[in-house]
Amino acid sequence: MGREANFRFSPKGKGLGSILTFASALFVLVCLSYVLPRLMPGDFVTAMFASSHVTLSANQESEARAYFQREEGFGEYLLRLARLDWGRSYALFQPVSSLILQALPWTLMLAVGAHLLASVCGFMIGVEAAWRRGTRVEKGLVGLMTMLEGVPEMAVGALLLAIFALQLHWLPTAGAQTPYVELSLWERLADTARHLALPMATLVISYLPGNFLLARNSMVMVLGEEFILTARAKGLPDRRVRYAHAARNALLPVVTRFGLRLAFMVTGVVVVETIFSYPGLGTLLFNAIRSRDLPLIQGVVLFSSGAVLSVNLALELVYSRIDPRTRHAP
Amino acid sequence: MRRRFCIFQVLLTFPIFLALATGSWAQSNEVRVADSKGDWGHPNPWRHYPRGPGYVRMSWVFDTLVWKDEKGMVPALAGSWHYEHVRKAFVFQMVPGAKWHDGKPVTPNDVVFTVEYFKKNPYGWVVLDHVDRAEATGPHEVTFFLKRPYAPFMEDVGGTMPILPKHVWEKVQDPKEYGEPAAFIGSGPFLFRDFDVAKGTYLYVAFPEYYQGRPKVDRLIYVKAADPVAALLSGQANLANIQPEMRPLLEERGMTVIGDKAGWVKKLMINHRVSPLSHKRFRQALAHAISQEEILQKAHRGRGRPASYGLLSVDHDDYNPKTPGYAHDPSRARQILESMGFQRGPDGFYHKEGKPLKLELLASSITVAGQPTADRDGEVIRQQLESVGIRVELRSLEQTTTDAKVRNWDFQLAISGHGGIMGDPKILNEMISEDYAAGSVNSVRFQENKELLDLLEAQMVEMDPAQRRAMVHRIQEIFAEELPSICLYYPETLSAYDPNKGIRWFYTKGGISKGIPIPQNKLSLLR
Repeated sequence: MGREANFRFSPKGKGLGSILTFASALFVLVCLSYVLPRLMPGDFVTAMFASSHVTLSANQESEARAYFQREEGFGEYLLRLARLDWGRSYALFQPVSSLILQALPWTLMLAVGAHLLASVCGFMIGVEAAWRRGTRVEKGLVGLMTMLEGVPEMAVGALLLAIFALQLHWLPTAGAQTPYVELSLWERLADTARHLALPMATLVISYLPGNFLLARNSMVMVLGEEFILTARAKGLPDRRVRYAHAARNALLPVVTRFGLRLAFMVTGVVVVETIFSYPGLGTLLFNAIRSRDLPLIQGVVLFSSGAVLSVNLALELVYSRIDPRTRHAP
Repeated sequence: MRRRFCIFQVLLTFPIFLALATGSWAQSNEVRVADSKGDWGHPNPWRHYPRGPGYVRMSWVFDTLVWKDEKGMVPALAGSWHYEHVRKAFVFQMVPGAKWHDGKPVTPNDVVFTVEYFKKNPYGWVVLDHVDRAEATGPHEVTFFLKRPYAPFMEDVGGTMPILPKHVWEKVQDPKEYGEPAAFIGSGPFLFRDFDVAKGTYLYVAFPEYYQGRPKVDRLIYVKAADPVAALLSGQANLANIQPEMRPLLEERGMTVIGDKAGWVKKLMINHRVSPLSHKRFRQALAHAISQEEILQKAHRGRGRPASYGLLSVDHDDYNPKTPGYAHDPSRARQILESMGFQRGPDGFYHKEGKPLKLELLASSITVAGQPTADRDGEVIRQQLESVGIRVELRSLEQTTTDAKVRNWDFQLAISGHGGIMGDPKILNEMISEDYAAGSVNSVRFQENKELLDLLEAQMVEMDPAQRRAMVHRIQEIFAEELPSICLYYPETLSAYDPNKGIRWFYTKGGISKGIPIPQNKLSLLR
C-alpha cells in the first residue's frame, strides 16, 4: 500500500513540473511570436502596394502605413492576448481568431486524419511484418517501405494527381469541397471525402513507411524478450502474444513519432495544401507571410507553437498509461 | 481481435467507396474561373487587394462610367461623352434605366457623391487631384470640371472609378471599417454573394435587372486551383491563365487558347544612385552585355518577345519605332567599360583601382497576372555579365524581401516586372518619376534628366492626341538612352477556356482598367 502511495505521488509531482515547464515555454513562445515576425524584411504596405497597379505617392504611402501598421508594444500585445484578443488581419479586415477557426477544421481533418491512419496502418503492418520476420512478405515490405520513405511528398502528390484526377478523372484536382452547390448531408460528406482522398493519400503514403519501419524494428526487439518466451510457454494464442504482449510494448516509439509529427501539422502539410489547393492553417500562414500580415502571422505562429507544446504535454501523460515503467523514469 | 480488425477495415475503405461512388455537382448555367492564389480580398474599393485580380473581382459588382473591350473604350453607365476645351470639362450622358442591386436608380448624383467621397476617402486606383468638382448638370448628365487639362482622364477616372451608391455610403464615416452586406451593393452585372477566405472561393450571381441585359450565366464562381491546367482538364474550371507550354495539350483537348498583346514587361531594375551604376555609359554597357533573345531562348524556350528599351509596349498605339536599341555586343560592352577605366585582370574579370567589379543581382518568383512565376532569368543574366567580365553574385529572395530592398535602394541590380504598358501613357510617369510613385518598386524613380521630367509633366496635360503622341515618343527615346532600368522581354500571356460554355473570353485592349492583363472582362458574360 505504501509503495502504491509513493507511485501515485510521483506522477503528480511530475505532472506539476510538466505544467510549469509548459507555462514557461508558452511565455517564451509568446515572446518569439512578437519578435520574429518583426524581424522579417519588408512590411504590409510594401508587400501589398509596392508592385501593384496602385502607385502610391510618398504621402499616400505614409498614410497607408499609419493606418495599417500601428506599432504595438510588447506590453500591449501581452494584455491583448490576456483578453483573448488575437488581433485583426491587415489584409482581410477579419479577427485573426475567426480566420484560424475557419482554417483549423481542414487542417485537423487532413493532418490528424493522415497521421492517425498512417500510424495505425504503419504500426499494424509493422507488427505483422515483424511476426513474419525472414519471410518473402516481410523482406518485400521492408524493401518497398524503404523505397517509399525516400520519395518526397511533392512527387507522391503530383503522381496521384496525374493518375487519379487527370487520367482516370475519379477525383477532383483541387479544393476541399465543390464550392457553392446545393447538396444533401450525404452528398456533402461524399464530396468532402472525394476532395480529401488525394491529399490524405499523399500524406499517408509519405508518413506510413516511417511508422512501419519503426514499428517493425521495435517489434523485432520486443519479440526477443524473455517475457514473450514466457507467454508462448504458457500456451497463449499467437494473436494474443503478438498484440497484447509484444505489440503493446513496441508501441511507445510509434506514439512518440506520432506526437512529434503531429506537432508540426501546420508546417508539415503546407506542401500538400499547396499542391491540392487544400485550405488550412499552412496556407493561411504562407499567405500571411507573403503579405506581411503581422497580426495573422503572430496568431498562426502562436497557435501552432501552442499546439506543439500541448501535444508534448499530452504525450507525457499518455506515456505513463501505455508503459507504466515511464512513471518511474527520473 | 478479428472483429476489431474488420471494423477498422470498413472504416478505412468506406470513405474511399463514398468518394469514388459520386461525381461532380457543378451546375450547367454557371462559369468557374481558376485562380492559383484564391484570396484577393473582398470585392469593394476599400477591401480588395490592390493588384489586378483584386480589382477584377470588384469590377463584376461595381460599374464605371465607361469600360473597354478588345477594341477600346465602350459605354457603360455613361452612354456618350465629350470633352469641352474651354470649360476644361468632361461631360457624360448617363444611360437611363441603370439600377443599384437594391433596386434604386443610378443617378448623376451618385457620380457626384462618388467623386466627393473618394476625395475624402482616397481609393488608390483613382487619382482625383486634377478634378475640381463634379456636378449633376441634367437629369441624366454629369460634368467633371478639371483644375487643369488631364489627358489620362478617360482611362484613369472614366474607365476605372467604380461608381458608389450615395444612399449607402453617405452614412459611412470610415469605409475601410464598413463590411456590411450593403458595402457590396453596386450597379454591375453580378451581385456579390460570398468570399470564403479559407477556401479562396468567390460566388457571384447574375443581376437580372442589369441595364445592359441579364448576364449569360446565372452564377460566376472563382475556385482556387494551384494547377489551373489540371482544373481545366478535370472540368473544375472553365477559364484559367496558362503557361505557354501547355497550349498544345489544351488545344488538343478542345480548349480555346487566347493570347494577349505585350502588356507586361520583365525588366532589370538598376540602382542608379550608386557608382558605377549611376553612370549612363555603364548602364549602356550592361544593355550591350545582356542578350534579350538568349534569355527568352534559355529561360523561356523562346516564348515571348524582346522588349523595347523605351518601356512602352511595342504593341502600344504610341510606341516609338525609333526608340534606341542595344544589340547584344559583348565587345562593345567591354570597350565602354575600358573607356571608363576598368581593367581586365588575369581572372578575366574587370577591376578598378584595385577593387573588383562585382554586382549583386536579386531575383525572385514574381506574380504575373495573378500567377506566381518562377524566375529563371537571373542565372542567364549572371552568365551573360560574367562572360563580359563583370562578376555577379546572384541572390534568390522571396518577392516581398526583394521589393523591400528595392524600395529602400538597398540593391544594385534586381529582376522585376509589371503590367500597364499597353494602357494610357501615364504609366511612363508612374514607372519613371518619383513624384508619381515614390512607393512603387517597379518605378525607377529617376529624377536626373530634366527634359524627361518636363516631358512627363507636359504629356499629362496635353489633350491633343497627336501632340501627346510626339511627346510620348520622345520620352521613350530619352528613357532608352538613359536606361535607368533595362527592359528585357514581354512574356507570352495566355489563357484557355472551355468553348462549350458558350462564352467568348477576350483580352481587353490596353488591359482592364489601368492595364490589367487578365481576360476576365465582364463584357464576355454579356455579349
